[in-house]
Amino acid sequence: MSTASTASGATSASRVGIDPRGPRVVAGITAVVLLVVITLALLGLPTPAAILLGAQAVVFLIAAVLGVQRHPYGYLYKAFVRPRLKPPVELEDPAPPTFAQGVGLFVVGLGLVLHVLGVPYALVIAAAAAFVAAFLNSVFAYCLGCQIYLLLARVGIIRRKPAAAA
Amino acid sequence: MHPLLVVAVILALVALATALGFVWRSQQGRVRIGDERIVAIDGVPLGERATLLQFSTEVCSPCRATARVLGALADRTESVEHVDLDVTHRPELAARYRVLQTPTTLILDSYGAVRARIGGAVRRDLVIAELARVLEQKVPAA
Repeated sequence: MSTASTASGATSASRVGIDPRGPRVVAGITAVVLLVVITLALLGLPTPAAILLGAQAVVFLIAAVLGVQRHPYGYLYKAFVRPRLKPPVELEDPAPPTFAQGVGLFVVGLGLVLHVLGVPYALVIAAAAAFVAAFLNSVFAYCLGCQIYLLLARVGIIRRKPAAAA
Repeated sequence: MHPLLVVAVILALVALATALGFVWRSQQGRVRIGDERIVAIDGVPLGERATLLQFSTEVCSPCRATARVLGALADRTESVEHVDLDVTHRPELAARYRVLQTPTTLILDSYGAVRARIGGAVRRDLVIAELARVLEQKVPAA
């Protein structure tokens, strides 16, 4: 019998765990959206492609700012997928998938800006990069934050606290 | 672009991502031989006979599961400690020990020398085998 465990070992007291399958379904939907963007762009429909990628950027923004718990696609998961599944065996910290949404926003946003500036294939390349990350996340449970967050911390972009006396 | 060519590009992209996924998965939890350099980090007590030194950040979903596996292993193996270091606050440690992903686990012997290095989520059976090699004795599996 599987029982839902409460958030165990949460790093901060206020943080509530989330169903780990939610972000993976969200990433799957994101991957499909990005494939549609690439298809439209390659078929010679750059404007619809850019509008759809812009909409995806807004979705990334909402999830990155409000947290992955409020991800627009997450409501689809809660309404249609979650009721058909058993309760999660284990809950997960929302911080890693929220961080991944921010990375998605950065990549897609950069692609859109370059596209508007007239850089050829910017839309396709940005959407393809974001697709690979979303696909790996959804299918292989790849953790984007495990490499990129560490990298940002190492180069000094992320400093959560002022460095304690060495 | 011809629609058939577009389909081919999409399929190629999915195939590439799948191949990357399999490569990534095969690297997760793989044990590499350590370089035997001595680890000394201020404020970090080492185990008498061995230490499972884990590097984590807070933006890392597999870190918690790895901490649980290593913590349980240290709990029931005498003189073995598990240390979980958050390198967000100490990025110089990540640089010093060449940590490129979290979790990364170093298995240290009684001298604090790195005997094994594991990138990504650990696999319990592989850690047990490696710890037994370092301790030169069998490690209780349960």
